[in-house]
Amino acid sequence: MASAGGYTQDLPPQGGYGPIDWAKRIPKRLNGYAVFGGFIAVTAASWTIFIHRRRIEKRHELEVNDARIAVFPLYEAERHRMLLRLHRQNRDEERELMKNVPGWELGTFYGEPVYHNLRDRFHHVTLEELYAHSKWYDMYTKAFEKLEH
Amino acid sequence: MPWKETDYLPSYEELTVPELTMTTPVMRAGALHFGKYCDNQCKEFMLCYQETLDPRKCLNEGKEVTRCGFEFFGKVKKHCADEFMKFHECIDFSSRDLIFKPCKKQQKIFDDCMQEKVGIERPPVGYFSLTRVHHTERPKHTLPEIPLPDPIPDPPSVEGRIPKHKHWPKHGLLS
Repeated sequence: MASAGGYTQDLPPQGGYGPIDWAKRIPKRLNGYAVFGGFIAVTAASWTIFIHRRRIEKRHELEVNDARIAVFPLYEAERHRMLLRLHRQNRDEERELMKNVPGWELGTFYGEPVYHNLRDRFHHVTLEELYAHSKWYDMYTKAFEKLEH
Repeated sequence: MPWKETDYLPSYEELTVPELTMTTPVMRAGALHFGKYCDNQCKEFMLCYQETLDPRKCLNEGKEVTRCGFEFFGKVKKHCADEFMKFHECIDFSSRDLIFKPCKKQQKIFDDCMQEKVGIERPPVGYFSLTRVHHTERPKHTLPEIPLPDPIPDPPSVEGRIPKHKHWPKHGLLS
């Protein structure tokens, strides 16, 4: 702040400078037992909360699993009917397709059975056979349908 | 090509029954009560298929399951339509994998309604995940007997017909 004289002298503060801070200062350390004790306390609390939460989450998952199992017979019954309808359509289609071929019998290759089935079991056939009379991409649409959800 | 003309396949008339046309959230919302209400039919059907592995032989059981489903959801629609609507909409719009967790409030309301008006109590958590024993009057399924070919005659005895080597070891593995 310039006065009439032009400048003011830079001087020490009122009462002089304080003593020089030269002593070594070591920060106060925690006791080792206290560190261990703190660690165990925090870990125990975390585990308690985690196990409690995990039990609740598992309960929710179990309930959803219950619901899936409960409606499964409904889906399964409808799926069986669709499957049998497809089998029947295939047989009708084959009868219509091969009616002009001499010596052709249904379910056989010119009279020779394709499957070994002496005890009237159900044929769980491959997708290629199920969709033999469809467009080829119908089969892939069906096979990879779940990838689109 | 698997089916001969003589093999039994049910006709289209047998296979045509009214089907439940509902989406997954709706099924999920009513699943627990449905499982309790149609417990016997579901167990009968699943046992039948597990025994026979043949969809043709479990058609009537499957139809019974679907009929029971119609009966159950008809009751829900008649008595608890609003509560059920709120519950399944919550399930539909709350999560990606249609879990019950964000919809506990709506579920509680729906449970109370079902217990009060229809009389179905929601089974405890884990009821369907446990193994359940089913008693049925249906005779156990067995495959038809087929005649087996005659057994092959035993081979002739070789005792004493094979000469032993002069230096065959007396002891050990080959003795």
